[in-house]
Amino acid sequence: MARVDSNADAIRFTKEPFVEEVGPRKIKSMQFRTFSGSEICKSAAVQVYNSSYYDSTRNPVEHGLLDSRMGPASKFGTCATCHGNFTDCPGHYGYLKLALPVFHVGYFGTIIDILKCICKSCARILLPDKERKDYLRKFRNPKVEVLQKNAYVKKIIKRCSPSSSSRCIEYGICGYKNGMVKKAGTVLAIAHDRSKIVGGSLDECRSAAFNSKHSKGSIQIVQVFNPVRVLTLFRRMLDEDCELLNIRDRPEKLIVTDIAVPPVVIRPSVPSNDGLSNEDNLTTKLSQIVICNAKIRESMQGVAPPSNCLNHWDTLQVEVAQYINSEVRGVPAYMQKDSKPMRGFVQRLKGKQGRFRGNLSGKRVEFTGRTVISPDPNLKITEVAIPILMAQVLTYPERITRYNVEKLRQCVRNGKNKYPGANFVLLPDGNKIMLSFGDRKRVADELKEGYVVERHLEDGDIVLFNRQPSLHRMSIMSHRARVMPWRTLRFNESVCNPYNADFDGDEMNLHVPQTEEARTEALMLMGVQNNLCTPKNGEILVASTQDFLTSSFLITRKDTFYDRAAFSLMCSYMGDSAEHIDLPTPALIKPVELWTGKQLFSVLIRPSANMRVYLNLTVMEKNYSKVGETMCPKDGFVYFRNSELISGQLGKATLGNGNKDGLFSVLLRDYNAHAAAACMNRLAKLSARWIGNHGFSIGIDDVQPGDGLNQQKSQSIEAGYRDCDDLICLYNKGQLSLQPGCNAAQTLESKITGVLNNVREITAKVCMEELHWRNSPLIMSQCGSKGSPINISQMIACVGQQSVGGRRAPNGFIDRSLPHFPRNSKTPAAKGFVANSFYTGLSATEFFFHTMGGREGLVDTAVKTAETGYMSRRLMKALEDLSVHYDGTVRNASGGIVQLLYGDDGMDPAQMEGKGGIPLNLHRLYMKIKATCPATSSSTYLSPSEIERIIDERLSKHDMTPEGGCSAAFKKLLLDFLHERVAALRITRRTLDLDEDSIGDNDCDVLEIVSANVSGITSRQLQVFLETCISRYHLKRIDGGAAIGAIGAQSIGEPGTQMTLKTFHFAGVASMNITLGVPRIKEIINAAKKISTPIITATLACDSDVKSARIVKGCIEKTVLGEVAKSIKITLTSRQASVKVTLDMDRIEALQMKINAYTVAQSILQHPKTKLKQQHVVVITPHKLKVLPPQADKNSLQFELHTLKTILPMVIVKGIKTVERAVINKEKGKYNLLVEGTNLLAVMGVPGVDGSRTKSNHVMEVEQTLGIEAARQCIIDEIQYTMGSHGMSIDIRHMMLLADVMTYKGEVLGITRVGIAKMKDSVLMLASFEKTAEHLFNACVSGREDQIEGVSECIIMGIPMQIGTGILKVLQRVDQPQEFNYAPDPIIS
Amino acid sequence: MVDFLFEDIFTLTKLDPDGKKFDKVSRIEARSEQFDMYMQLDVNTEIYPLHPGDKFTMVLAPTLSLDGTPDSGYFAPGGRKSLADKFEYVMHGKLFKISEEGSGPNVKVEIYVSFGGLLMLLKGDPSNAANFELDQRLFLLMRKV
Repeated sequence: MARVDSNADAIRFTKEPFVEEVGPRKIKSMQFRTFSGSEICKSAAVQVYNSSYYDSTRNPVEHGLLDSRMGPASKFGTCATCHGNFTDCPGHYGYLKLALPVFHVGYFGTIIDILKCICKSCARILLPDKERKDYLRKFRNPKVEVLQKNAYVKKIIKRCSPSSSSRCIEYGICGYKNGMVKKAGTVLAIAHDRSKIVGGSLDECRSAAFNSKHSKGSIQIVQVFNPVRVLTLFRRMLDEDCELLNIRDRPEKLIVTDIAVPPVVIRPSVPSNDGLSNEDNLTTKLSQIVICNAKIRESMQGVAPPSNCLNHWDTLQVEVAQYINSEVRGVPAYMQKDSKPMRGFVQRLKGKQGRFRGNLSGKRVEFTGRTVISPDPNLKITEVAIPILMAQVLTYPERITRYNVEKLRQCVRNGKNKYPGANFVLLPDGNKIMLSFGDRKRVADELKEGYVVERHLEDGDIVLFNRQPSLHRMSIMSHRARVMPWRTLRFNESVCNPYNADFDGDEMNLHVPQTEEARTEALMLMGVQNNLCTPKNGEILVASTQDFLTSSFLITRKDTFYDRAAFSLMCSYMGDSAEHIDLPTPALIKPVELWTGKQLFSVLIRPSANMRVYLNLTVMEKNYSKVGETMCPKDGFVYFRNSELISGQLGKATLGNGNKDGLFSVLLRDYNAHAAAACMNRLAKLSARWIGNHGFSIGIDDVQPGDGLNQQKSQSIEAGYRDCDDLICLYNKGQLSLQPGCNAAQTLESKITGVLNNVREITAKVCMEELHWRNSPLIMSQCGSKGSPINISQMIACVGQQSVGGRRAPNGFIDRSLPHFPRNSKTPAAKGFVANSFYTGLSATEFFFHTMGGREGLVDTAVKTAETGYMSRRLMKALEDLSVHYDGTVRNASGGIVQLLYGDDGMDPAQMEGKGGIPLNLHRLYMKIKATCPATSSSTYLSPSEIERIIDERLSKHDMTPEGGCSAAFKKLLLDFLHERVAALRITRRTLDLDEDSIGDNDCDVLEIVSANVSGITSRQLQVFLETCISRYHLKRIDGGAAIGAIGAQSIGEPGTQMTLKTFHFAGVASMNITLGVPRIKEIINAAKKISTPIITATLACDSDVKSARIVKGCIEKTVLGEVAKSIKITLTSRQASVKVTLDMDRIEALQMKINAYTVAQSILQHPKTKLKQQHVVVITPHKLKVLPPQADKNSLQFELHTLKTILPMVIVKGIKTVERAVINKEKGKYNLLVEGTNLLAVMGVPGVDGSRTKSNHVMEVEQTLGIEAARQCIIDEIQYTMGSHGMSIDIRHMMLLADVMTYKGEVLGITRVGIAKMKDSVLMLASFEKTAEHLFNACVSGREDQIEGVSECIIMGIPMQIGTGILKVLQRVDQPQEFNYAPDPIIS
Repeated sequence: MVDFLFEDIFTLTKLDPDGKKFDKVSRIEARSEQFDMYMQLDVNTEIYPLHPGDKFTMVLAPTLSLDGTPDSGYFAPGGRKSLADKFEYVMHGKLFKISEEGSGPNVKVEIYVSFGGLLMLLKGDPSNAANFELDQRLFLLMRKV
């Protein structure tokens, strides 16, 4: 099937010329072909015709299925062909000659397709000559792609199939009338149905039959095509016609005449104890084929009665089919065995455990370990503690040099069972000395340079650490080993986040790279230090968690003071007593020397004056009171200035993961990964040791509500219940004022939900206020280490409303949720409101409602994991081979351009500092520059005009132009920011009554000094700021070779797993739901034709007026005649019977609809079901018309009239059919329309709607209406909106890439098996995705050639891929250096 | 002799204007007599209790040494005589922000100092702010009158 491509030699030599070895060869491409019977025979070593396996002496039978010429059948035999033993012999093929040909299951579909297209008499293609030549030209066009070819083939098949009208295709040359070709009822049989052919002999036959007795039954002239007949037809086919059907080889190869018997190695025979053997499925199947074949041969030779021959032939057909694909459908019942299903070739290949996904795309590896994990804050974040037991098994082959010989000698002496030892010594000649026995001392003494010792792992070795599910690239990172006692793998808790690990029994895997190259690459690319940030959005991922946050929060409280002893002790906690620490001046000098906890943090960030880390940042913590910045009374505004903590109590926003302006992010951006990592190490140590002494625990008294709380809680619950009762009362009376777009029940539900949520919020608020600041749950929720205010109030005050499917508890019984309540009760308690807290305990009904809510959560997570897993896999397959090339383009493996510039600016998402994916956070940078470059006495402050001049000068340089690699967006960003600063300076100067533009000469002017201090900037500061911004911007360019496709796929797939069950969301208006969460992402990615909640957002031409909005709404929403008609009556006069329609003009005018009898008449005529003609609808007056029944048949007149009467009220007189409803939505004082339904085109065309600003959330519809670019934008917007409404930020570049991949072929392709097959050319890649066998068989038929360049193909072939570091291709010219003749030229030559 | 950056007598007007948030630290609001400066200051009231109505002298000085040698930035405790001897409550901190408020003739300058997290806001006429610079290390000395 596959063959390595090689250059066809032009010259043939009689003797093979000597060819120099050109070095290692690489598989460049792979071609898929079909094998003919003779080719099979040629490549085989033996013919197989004996069905038995072993003879009496337990030797393989000659010409049997285990013939030793196909390779040794057991460990002890040798191969009769190559004389190799069990391990050496690669195996050789045999062949099995079939007595009669059979169809190949894999090609069966193709065979039928071919038969459809050829004449069943002369085997020419059923196309007129001109068309045939046309198509031939198309096929021979060198530019035509595989995808197009397949489309042509489909067209030809359709063209050649008998159309529904004629049911017959006549081919000009031989005049034979072809009927329909279809699959016959039983398995693998083809029928040629000519019964519908008109004319000719068939008609004669029919007319003859008509006169006979059996006239009733129609004549079925169905021929069954057996393989022999098909084979002869195929043999007669012209090559030219094959080309038209995209068949690379001769079509007769699609029919099996000989079977290749695979080598014994792939179907091992396992001897069992009782002298028999267990044979592989393939072997047993082959033996059945051999037996069946023999029977056919017998009957053909006349030994057995020939009648059996056909039966046997059918059996053989089934057997051969099952041999290839055991799941073939339509196997006759007598052949189905009830025992376990066998595995055919197709089964071996397909599925998760199949060859493609299980063995070729992923392989088992050595040097791995797996055990339970546990935390250890004393380790560095880059380290992992490995148990000694594990380190003694996992080894690293270290080459002996003169520097390490002594260490390795000791290792060898220690041997296998003593750490640090070694397990093997590899000699340069390839021998391996095992150190578990033998004289280790002697081996150690004989060690020489160049030997390789497989020593135990030691501290500092590089290992890869991984936890499943590996959802993003940070799920596998490289750590440095620390060999330690005990039995768990340990690491710093700060690294929990990227792995998503906790210590409730999780296990993790460990791999040891075995070469120096692998180690280096692992350290540089996968090291924890180099992966602190997620490429999803540039937020920091490795950061403090849980206890570290709690202790930092407590330490930095405003009223923590430490005396000299305590402060010094805590300073020494941070390191391993090896660092130099400068004690700062105490904040309080008198009456007692006291240091504050904030000073401790200043020390933590910059322990000594020698350390040049100047951290500058501001963060608003969770408890920031939103006023007064640093003076916030709750101390929630964190301000670091030059590594000194000025104000603020540190919490998750500063120290935790998932932010861009936190402490570690800033350290990472402004300094380097090492600074951030070292700071995290210090914090981990300090906080673990501090909290160990301080103590932090939680108990029942932490969740005991006080009296005040209980009182307030019961008050608010009572008030809430009362409100609900009032609402219910109103509802029962029917006096409830309706919300827009809702009916009474919906309004009631939404109002009650609102009231009850409010109750819970109020109690939660009271609860949080009442708690003492030392309350542990409160501390944890405030600092962000664990739990939310809701969790606390659920424990202490009130659990709140339980919801199932986004509603209150549903009715499980007739008209009630539980039998404890009266029927139709809508009170809070009856619908799942839990008024108790977890502390007080839930009542029986409350408990039941709580389990209902809990179960929904469990079910949702279980369902979601499977769904998102599959989604990620599909995304990965679609995007895996995209990478950034050195010219900034994003291309797929075959070099096709997907984006001309990655993300429109070529920036690396992992390094984006600003919110929303902008490259730099200019405000922070400006602050940092101002703090770190203080104005000295020599520097001068600039006037606003001077500043502007400097800016203009700098920004016009080359590196700020698009050619210099700077996007216009960034330039604008920088310019806007600087102008803002200049404006601020102007304002300051104005308020201080200074000249706005020029700085006065009088330096001593008090106001000048003040204004400079407030918002001045020196020339040095400005220069440094500009240079920093620009140089840093240029460093953030994405690297060439970055596997941006894979990163994008992970960045979109990984958040999917975290999406909670918040499936619905109100689009501005209550009761207007839009699908969100995983289902919505799935819809977008699949490019679904039909989405569950299509919504068109129509901007109005006049968006400030409700009235005009209502008019437009009336035009969009469908209005049926029944709604606007005063009466629809049947009138019977003596002459005429008709249906009279009178329009209700008052109502029409009230609704401001432009409807009159003429428009209604038009609408009626357009209605599909009426079948009325122009003359049937008569307009009498502008508000009256009559409809005449179309058939004036007296018998049916009454019926006609009544049908008309029932149809007419349903006629849509105004509005768009596909629209469910339209809702007026007020947004920022402007009105727009939310239209529920499809047909964007019609909505855009409605007068009053601004078509150019009207959007739809339906990608496919946008594509049809507005085109591919709009569809691309729609995909981006919709993914962003969905992710955003779940509080997840993903860099827009990833979504752009996804949208581009989905649209770059010119149509919207979903990330599904159909879409991916259209995006990719590679057969191997598609085979490793889904429908493995189908892709392979089709590739063979059309003789596809696969370039081995994509990621999947390279992995399958074991070749380094052209992505990441593999993109480098160093070409070196090795010309011989010219030889210089330094001697003087010989005078005489 | 040391040049004080600022010296005035303040009257404590309010204790914990936003409610008591911390056990040992209270925020005081005070107004000065001479320059009519407004001040907010976090004081460790556990060791230096203050009450509304208290009058105290507050001095901001760049160094504690009596001869005016600039502060080294390193803390060297010792029994030497210093400015602190005359005062009851001494803090050390850093000036981190100067901003303006209001406009025209009513313009006020705000000076922010952090004493290891205990914050001071001093608001008053721009003329009093001439001696202050950003990132200045300074000592706050207090004595009840």
